[in-house]
Amino acid sequence: MNERQKILLVEDEDTLAIGLEFNLTEEGYEVIRAKDGREALHIFGNNLFDLIILDIMLPYYDGFEIAAIVRNKFPQMPILMLTARTAAVDRIKGLEVGADDYLTKPFHLQELLLRVKGMLKRKNWYKELNDEQKIYTFGNNEINFETLECSHKGDNFRLTPHEAILMKYFINNKNKIVSRKELLEKVWHLNPEVETRTVDIFIARLRKYFEDDPSSPKFIISIRSMGYKFVGD
Amino acid sequence: MKRSNTLFAHITIFVITQLLWLCLLGLWIYWYVSNYIIFEKVGDQLSPQILYDGTNVFAFVGGIVLLVVISFSLSFIFRQLNVQLKMTRMYDNFIATITHELKSPLSSIQLYLETLSTRNVQQEKREEFYKLMMKDANRLKKLMDSILEIAALEQKRLDHNYTVCDSDKTLRQIIRASEDQLNLPPQSYTISGVLNSLTLIDKTAMGIVIDNLFDNAIKYTNGPFKINITFKQLEKKIIIEFSDNGIGLPLNEQKKIFNKFYRVADKNSPTVKGTGLGLYWVREIIKSHKGKIYVTSEGTNKGSTFKIELPVYKTSSGNFLTKFFKKKKRSTIDMSELYE
Repeated sequence: MNERQKILLVEDEDTLAIGLEFNLTEEGYEVIRAKDGREALHIFGNNLFDLIILDIMLPYYDGFEIAAIVRNKFPQMPILMLTARTAAVDRIKGLEVGADDYLTKPFHLQELLLRVKGMLKRKNWYKELNDEQKIYTFGNNEINFETLECSHKGDNFRLTPHEAILMKYFINNKNKIVSRKELLEKVWHLNPEVETRTVDIFIARLRKYFEDDPSSPKFIISIRSMGYKFVGD
Repeated sequence: MKRSNTLFAHITIFVITQLLWLCLLGLWIYWYVSNYIIFEKVGDQLSPQILYDGTNVFAFVGGIVLLVVISFSLSFIFRQLNVQLKMTRMYDNFIATITHELKSPLSSIQLYLETLSTRNVQQEKREEFYKLMMKDANRLKKLMDSILEIAALEQKRLDHNYTVCDSDKTLRQIIRASEDQLNLPPQSYTISGVLNSLTLIDKTAMGIVIDNLFDNAIKYTNGPFKINITFKQLEKKIIIEFSDNGIGLPLNEQKKIFNKFYRVADKNSPTVKGTGLGLYWVREIIKSHKGKIYVTSEGTNKGSTFKIELPVYKTSSGNFLTKFFKKKKRSTIDMSELYE
């Protein structure tokens, strides 16, 4: 690693932020901290980051609002949500607005560091993917894996790196059944015991993008008690 | 989304019930009037032995009274349901905030423990981490204490130790103790005015009141805070005014902030910390002193003033207050300071 990777840490709790900053710095990352939503957006507007660690309950702008703004501006920015909220509805909302991963407080330090490492690795891995097949088409859809720009029936939008990697994984395993466990291990590099709901939320997101009718999908099909299958043209 | 749906469902049920009730009332009147007309026209011919008497009027009036009673009962039930819904919503909000308040310091303590056990941390940094852990442990303790003591106060299980004391001297002592405990920056507050009366004060409880008012001023001020405390001596009461330069309060929130679990939903608030219990606790303590507390604010970003009124203890009329506090179970009154 020639240049230190830069992390924006958005956390209003001073004591927690000091400890996180220490640990991330020890791991070789450069950390800039924002104490509230307003400061986070200001810092984000003036700097380039490799990853954002984001609390949800923040003054001025909450984590959901920040994630949505960031995602809109930089669709490829990895966002890790770190919060005391454990309700399923909050996790789903977090992932829906564009977070790539979600960790609840209190968390284990090693787990947090592994997830950060995994997210940054995926960001780089994604860059390598670009050299392969750049444009892929199926049905009325087109995905440009270089720019992450997509079109569905003429509507243009952008994928997040996580969504792109997941899509790429499906394309590489076209017509094969892929289990949730496999996706968590291969795409998220996570212990499948940790979180299986994440996969479902990402699948729902992809279906919303690429299916004419997301409730009866034609491309990303659920195979009962097995997982999912991508069926191209 | 679910909550608004529930509320919408309740309102719909209420409106439908009221419409049904009105239809029933209409039918009742229609039935009575049409029957009465038929009875008047043909009743005599069909059955001359049945005579119209007052009992039918009684049935008519009785029916209407019954329907009106049902209507009032329905309104009452829906009103209660609405209150219950509001309480549930506030309670849910409390659970969410308390979870945040409990988990944040706990995560921080866990983070430092894991850091210290897995990394080689320099002594200086190590000391800093211990201090931060202590700070979080104290925060947890304060939170637990507040929940337990509020419950005890509500169930009148809390021991009060009132002292007949020199108001000016005692309140200045309590304020200074709060300053030390909260580690306030120098010159962050001023005290003006003089009190020259005796009053009954539970020093520990009054300390909680002052701590909470300082804490609120700190939390709800953008940038450096400044508090002006003013003492005013009146004939029968003393007034302590606590003015800050914080974000202030809109008029419609000023009464609500003393309600249990209530938290102002303000996007411009510089903090999200809190449980909605602090000012409720303050009000309950002031009430237990037979005093009153109000808040005034000229509006957003114009600061707030908390005004506490406490009754004066006079040796001649003191009997009244002494009797009042003695009546309360678990209260003791220490009068030794009177003779110092």
